[in-house]
Amino acid sequence: MIKLETAHVEEFRGIRKLDIDFGKETFAISGPNGTGKSGVIDAIEFGLTGEIGRLTGRGTKSLSVSEHGPHVDKVKFPDAAFVELKVFLPALGKSATITRKVSAPGKPKIAPADADVKAALAEIADHPEITLARRDILRFILVEPTKRSEEIQAILKLDGIGQTRAALNTAQNKLQTGFKSATGQVQSSRDTLQRHLQIATFGAAELLAAVNPKREALGLSRIETLTPDTQLDAGLSDSDKLPEFNKQSTLRDLQALSDMLGSLVDMGKEEAAAILSGIATLEGDPALLQALQRRSLVEKGLELVDGPECPLCDHPWPDENHLLGHLKAKLSKSEDAGKLQTSLLTNGGNLAGHAEILLGLLRQALRIAKGEGDAAAADLITAWGTDLQELKGHLGNFDGLIGLKERLGSGWAKMPEAVPSRLAALTAKVDAKPDQSAAIEAQTFLTTAQLRLNDYRDAMRKNEAAKTASNAAKAAYDAYCRVMEHELNALYEDVQGDFSTFYRLINEDDEAQFTAKLTPSEGRLDFDVNFYERGLFPPGAYHSEGHQDGMGVCLYLALMKRLFAKSFTIALLDDVVMSVDSGHRYQFCKLLKTHFPDTQFIITTHDRLWAEQMKSAGLVTAKTSLAFHSWTVDTGPLVESNADIWDDIATALAKGKVETAAHGLRHHLEYVSRQLADQLGARPIFRADGNYDLGELLPNVLSRAKELYGKAADAAQSWGNAAAKEAALQRKATLSSSSGASNVEQWAVNKAVHYNEWANFGKKDFEPVVAAFKELLESLRCKDCQTWLYVTPRGGSPDSLRCLCSAESLNLKAKPK
Amino acid sequence: MATLQQDIATKFISALEEGKEVDSDKIEEIRKLLSDDKKIKADDFVRVFSAPAGGEVK
Repeated sequence: MIKLETAHVEEFRGIRKLDIDFGKETFAISGPNGTGKSGVIDAIEFGLTGEIGRLTGRGTKSLSVSEHGPHVDKVKFPDAAFVELKVFLPALGKSATITRKVSAPGKPKIAPADADVKAALAEIADHPEITLARRDILRFILVEPTKRSEEIQAILKLDGIGQTRAALNTAQNKLQTGFKSATGQVQSSRDTLQRHLQIATFGAAELLAAVNPKREALGLSRIETLTPDTQLDAGLSDSDKLPEFNKQSTLRDLQALSDMLGSLVDMGKEEAAAILSGIATLEGDPALLQALQRRSLVEKGLELVDGPECPLCDHPWPDENHLLGHLKAKLSKSEDAGKLQTSLLTNGGNLAGHAEILLGLLRQALRIAKGEGDAAAADLITAWGTDLQELKGHLGNFDGLIGLKERLGSGWAKMPEAVPSRLAALTAKVDAKPDQSAAIEAQTFLTTAQLRLNDYRDAMRKNEAAKTASNAAKAAYDAYCRVMEHELNALYEDVQGDFSTFYRLINEDDEAQFTAKLTPSEGRLDFDVNFYERGLFPPGAYHSEGHQDGMGVCLYLALMKRLFAKSFTIALLDDVVMSVDSGHRYQFCKLLKTHFPDTQFIITTHDRLWAEQMKSAGLVTAKTSLAFHSWTVDTGPLVESNADIWDDIATALAKGKVETAAHGLRHHLEYVSRQLADQLGARPIFRADGNYDLGELLPNVLSRAKELYGKAADAAQSWGNAAAKEAALQRKATLSSSSGASNVEQWAVNKAVHYNEWANFGKKDFEPVVAAFKELLESLRCKDCQTWLYVTPRGGSPDSLRCLCSAESLNLKAKPK
Repeated sequence: MATLQQDIATKFISALEEGKEVDSDKIEEIRKLLSDDKKIKADDFVRVFSAPAGGEVK
């Protein structure tokens, strides 16, 4: 795996031109929605894999990298859209550059083009799962168990295991069907032999009792024991082995077929009616069929109901009971559909059995027709037999059954009209033959019996082979499932252990006893989590959306740890923890720092506060953070104030562009004021929309800072620490003088100095304003680590005012009296 | 993860060898299928399981 050093992106997605120095460190990119953060993730993902996750998957059918990868103004010039990444390969101890153009996503330019570098980059190209977007969390947490199993097996590259299991399952099903068919053949050949022998019970003694009189009539020895080698016509010379035609037996075969044709109307009538009734039910209530497909979704919906709003479609209901009743009715419909499907297939199977019996008789009739040279009858029987075989195929599956409505309504057998007359003609032809002499009748009886016994033996052998194959396939499938389940259980135990550890770390304040259970079974992966020690429930049952987000990230991290182990060196987290509340975000930072110290996370968020918390928690620094403040189609993402802001303002002023400089200063002050207000605990008038104006924010920040410095001086006094007291008072004085110079305190009363007027200032008038604000802001951050001061603990009465590196640390707690 | 897949394949073969339902010729064929890089199809297994016992006797 790799670590990212730099990225250069041009004309890609919403980005025109952008350079980012990641420095192999965890990096945060923040900005409001629509400012291009995800475009950076897309660019990195594309650079590494040649793919853009957002353009693939459900609902993205009409999207493609080639058409929608380039900036919208460069769609016709995809060559202009490219990403160049400089990466570090820890395992090789060297850096490489990979340049990938949208016009040739599969052919990146790699330098140096060393074999080991290419191999390492090819490996990461095979792992698009290094990117986690919020939509992906649903793949793990809220999906149905069968889908979760697929998703997690896919991310763990276990799809080959699933494929093998599915292939073994299909094979065992096919062989089981083959076994059933072979058993049907045995039945059919036995009926044919039994009919010829005219025995009521099928058994060796009965068979020999029918055969021996014929043998004795021909002067042949009796057969005392029937063995697998027994030849019923043994002793007949070749010349005596007449053609198998035995008039009486043939007439019985034709009569059996004729009898069946007579009863064909009633045969399978019940099954056909049941199938038709099922089809009618489905047609009369299309929702029933849909309900069958939606069953799993509705079950999930029922679990998620928490109030009168539908968790599946957001539709509001009068109350929760109405909604529950509606979903239960839907579920009840899908239960009916499930039962109906089973009933349809059972009746289809029984009807196929009737068709097989008819086919057995038709085979004999075909043999007779061919023997009698009746080509028309043979063609007719062949065509009907082919049609019945196709019917059997349709009767074996749900879709096939649904398509049989018309046929079943008009008689499933669909006997060709000419069959009875053809059969009668064939029977008359056989009947018209002179009666065979007793000797010939006995000879043909024996030769026909032997032929039919051969057929029966052959069917038995095939049935035995089919049974052996079916049993072997079942044993193999069972063994594979057993082994797979055991191994996956072990894997999931690892994953669930890590997942629980990670989740507990994030929520140690209120869910310190949290546990989770991943339960794999055939093709499913059930996932239940402990809810405040009240038992295990699906994640969506009781936990809030924020907690579910946290679970998604934790499960992802646990899976990645299992997948890559020490090679887990990079992950792109695209706005995945937006719902985690602020207290838990510090813990989330702790999780990444402590459990994944060697992993570089590229984290985007639209939440400015979260971006600052990552800095405060030490997950990222000012150097490893980037904020976009807005985006336009012409410029792409616009980077927020940064360390170079004062240089930018100076440059603008040098060019006489006061308006540009004023805009830059105001923007920077808005950004910093908001951050300091949060970190110092300033007390502006609360706004529910969070839309604070600079005019009310910055004065409150300064007021709060002075208050804190005053507290620090008082606390130092109480401890008798004169030096600390002097330092605090000095800071307060500096703050007062620079705030006076900046006129902040005059904003409310003197419109002439208000920041709204800055653009109208002359260069000479504005330069002192810039200098004053620079000094003012510098007094609120550490000169060493360059981080803004913050109070700790947050909320309540703070103990200290400090910076991240602790170079600045002012005690706020006075000595108890 | 290929390792896990290989682990499962190896243990699966051992389980078949311990059982009596699948003969040694078929087990060998399955072993070959599993060690091949190609995606295994159901019909590959159908062919193996349908082969008569003692298939090496032509």
